[in-house]
Amino acid sequence: MAAFILRRLGGLIFVLIGVSLLTFFLAQMVPADPAGAALGSNAREEQIAAYRKQLGLDEPVVVQYGIYMSRLLRGDLGNSIRTRRAVADDLRDFLPATVELTLAAMLVTIVLGIPLGIIAALNRNTWIDASARILALIGGAMPIFYVGLVLLGVFYRQLQWLPGPGRLDSTLQPPMQITGLYTVDALLTGNWPVFANAIAHLILPAITLGLFSTAVLLRMTRSSMLEMLGQDYVRTAKAKGLGERVVIGRHVFKNALPPILTIVGILFGSLLSGAVLTETIFNWPGIGRYATTSVTTLDYPAVMGVALVAAIIYPLANTLVDIGYSIIDPRVRAD
Amino acid sequence: MNGRQPTRFWRWALLLMLVAMLMSACAPAAAPSAPAAGGEQAAAPASDAITRDNTLIFAADMTDIITLDPAVAYEFGGILPVGNMYETLVSFNPGEPEIVGVLAKAWEIADAGDVWSMTFTLNPDAKFASGNPVTADDVIFSWSRALDVNKSPTWLLTDVCQMTKENVVAVDAGTVELKIPKTVSPNVCLSVLTFTVAAVVEKAAVEPNMGSDFGETWLNDHSAGSGPYVLNAWERSASVTLDANPNWWGGAAPAMKRVILQNMPEPANRQAAIETGDADIIQDVGPEQAAALEGNPDVTLVKGLSTLLAYASVNASMPPFDNPDARQALRYAINYDNIITLLGGNGELVQEIIPIGFAGHTGNNPFTQDLEKAKELFAKAGVTEGATIPFIVATGTGPGGVEWATIAASIQADLAQIGINLDIQQMQQSELLTKYRAQELPMLLMNWGPDFTDPDANGTPFSNYEAKSLAWRNSWNDPKAIELSKQAAVELDPAKRVELYAQLTEYVQNNGPFAMLFQPARVYALRNNVQGFIYDPGDTPSISLWLISK
Repeated sequence: MAAFILRRLGGLIFVLIGVSLLTFFLAQMVPADPAGAALGSNAREEQIAAYRKQLGLDEPVVVQYGIYMSRLLRGDLGNSIRTRRAVADDLRDFLPATVELTLAAMLVTIVLGIPLGIIAALNRNTWIDASARILALIGGAMPIFYVGLVLLGVFYRQLQWLPGPGRLDSTLQPPMQITGLYTVDALLTGNWPVFANAIAHLILPAITLGLFSTAVLLRMTRSSMLEMLGQDYVRTAKAKGLGERVVIGRHVFKNALPPILTIVGILFGSLLSGAVLTETIFNWPGIGRYATTSVTTLDYPAVMGVALVAAIIYPLANTLVDIGYSIIDPRVRAD
Repeated sequence: MNGRQPTRFWRWALLLMLVAMLMSACAPAAAPSAPAAGGEQAAAPASDAITRDNTLIFAADMTDIITLDPAVAYEFGGILPVGNMYETLVSFNPGEPEIVGVLAKAWEIADAGDVWSMTFTLNPDAKFASGNPVTADDVIFSWSRALDVNKSPTWLLTDVCQMTKENVVAVDAGTVELKIPKTVSPNVCLSVLTFTVAAVVEKAAVEPNMGSDFGETWLNDHSAGSGPYVLNAWERSASVTLDANPNWWGGAAPAMKRVILQNMPEPANRQAAIETGDADIIQDVGPEQAAALEGNPDVTLVKGLSTLLAYASVNASMPPFDNPDARQALRYAINYDNIITLLGGNGELVQEIIPIGFAGHTGNNPFTQDLEKAKELFAKAGVTEGATIPFIVATGTGPGGVEWATIAASIQADLAQIGINLDIQQMQQSELLTKYRAQELPMLLMNWGPDFTDPDANGTPFSNYEAKSLAWRNSWNDPKAIELSKQAAVELDPAKRVELYAQLTEYVQNNGPFAMLFQPARVYALRNNVQGFIYDPGDTPSISLWLISK
């Protein structure tokens, strides 16, 4: 197992080199000057030239890449051209918001997708199944920005049941930063009003972001369950007099789990990238918005920072899934 | 069964470990920045409990904010909070064009041989939020620091004022003398000193926290000024929270004990926030939102002209616009009324290089669409019907809330009427700027905002090729315009100066590479109970939060 994880982490290094190469050289191909973009339209030529020099942009591309990589190996992501801060500091500010949103959306996905999928499979071809499938269809077909706008329009502007965009009501002070996830930090510091408010603020964006993946997971769970329900060993288990609950829980669901787990891993990655739109609609100060602003201002150290983080999280999530397999199915050995 | 137990345990443990790794990869190491800021300063206004009634929530697109250090801030989003936390020696009263003293009680400009000597007497009542008095030593520390930091706005001090560390001296604890070369206009320099880059920070507070970056990092989470507000917290990308300075010396205590400047980039979210009352003021209401809010009994729309000027320009070294007649023809071909209509009230026709509200603005708009004349002038310049000219336009929304491309299409339709094809090419702003700076664009649509409140902030860029700004980007090297702009910049007599700017304006209007189009407005929506709101783009800050009540 340890060897397996080490191998996986070793593979990460190649992924990182690939991603950094790709983003770095793609950024070079854009026919615009990041220093000029950062200083704005009024900046004078001497100023821009000086800033280019300061950033090392006057060096040949290969030298620039070399400098970047040697810094990266020392754990330094460089400085953002736009915000003029260390990219690592920027990420530290923006990443927790995205992680909190993504985890909440993942929770929505799992809590809704798996049970509904199971219920639909157990009630195959009844109205329950039909409604679950319609729900999946709607969830899969509706674009994120539309879902977000409708939810905000109904639950915030019309009914005023839930708070509007943002991570907290603006009159509340964020909790002391421990993990950067407001809900967790509020919980750890026992700050209940902030905890409740942060949860309330999470509901709409989490549903918006999680709806599509809920639909996918629901369908996957349903079909995987159906496949298992038709197996001989299920009939045998029933024949030997095992209770319904034991058959479904221990025999059917457990064997239906591996493909579901695979989908969960993939969905996690798609949630991270889908967060960009949700963050825009819900005014969520996360890494998606940071990435968009960085791209439009040609802030390539920031863009690379975001790309590298995504490149780390995605394989990590997949490794988790692989380990998950070996837990639910002893035949699968991770190593 | 028993044999499998430990492996299972380890598998779970590993899983948990990986989850923890994932979380820690995402989550920050305990960074104690926020509480550090809040701890010392938030406690200050304890006598007045903070409630929603004495809290002002201001929602705007503040994505551009990158710093709260007065020596570094140069973005609209940053200058608003910085201008409300720090004070300068001189400034404007909101909505009035005359420079008045703030930290300086009086000042004197004297001819000292080969230099101008500007002597400022500090107001003895002036004190920082800490309670310590503002001294000449603080002024010199602040200005030297701005020169050392050397970030975006520093050029205003070094280039416009020609300030060096050597030519600023403390005459005594309450007097500062700045010596500037005779080539610099003391009036121009004075208006630069109203900007936040010349704001005074408390030496005793900043010096111990200089670190390796002259205190830039520290000032992002702490304030050390003498203004009406102090920094409570800056939640990056989300909000800046200011608290009333209990030690403010400059006037009546601010009615709003707390001001939350909330970053809300989406216009629809801002509209929802003002409708629900989650925000008290929202900035940049687009034409669509304005229409929706117009009938709302709880909301008032306030419109204020910005200092921006939108223009179409042509490269004076590329045919056909290397010929002055072709440039004049373009100005006669444009249907200005149509553009103003497109703006839906979010802008006023301005056909000169000095904006409304600045000394030297003449109010002359000599051009109305005259297609016959345009055709004639184009013919004189040798432009035949069917000629095609590339017209470069930025993507996205321009000032006044209308897409750049929409305005470009209007001009395209005008020229099509006289047989000239404008080939509209859209470009990302950053790419457009790169090419514009390289003098590569034959024709484009853009806007300009002055860097300081003085006609020279537009006179030089639009006219002086040597300044490597707009005239240069459009390859317009005209000795007469250069000479006039230099003369006008340094003229001390206000009446003569206005006269020189009138001459320059008229000359550029008829010979330059620009077709000046409009001065866009900025629209705010206020909840009805908000009072004392003034938007004055010439003043720093453009919104004086301490005057607002509700």
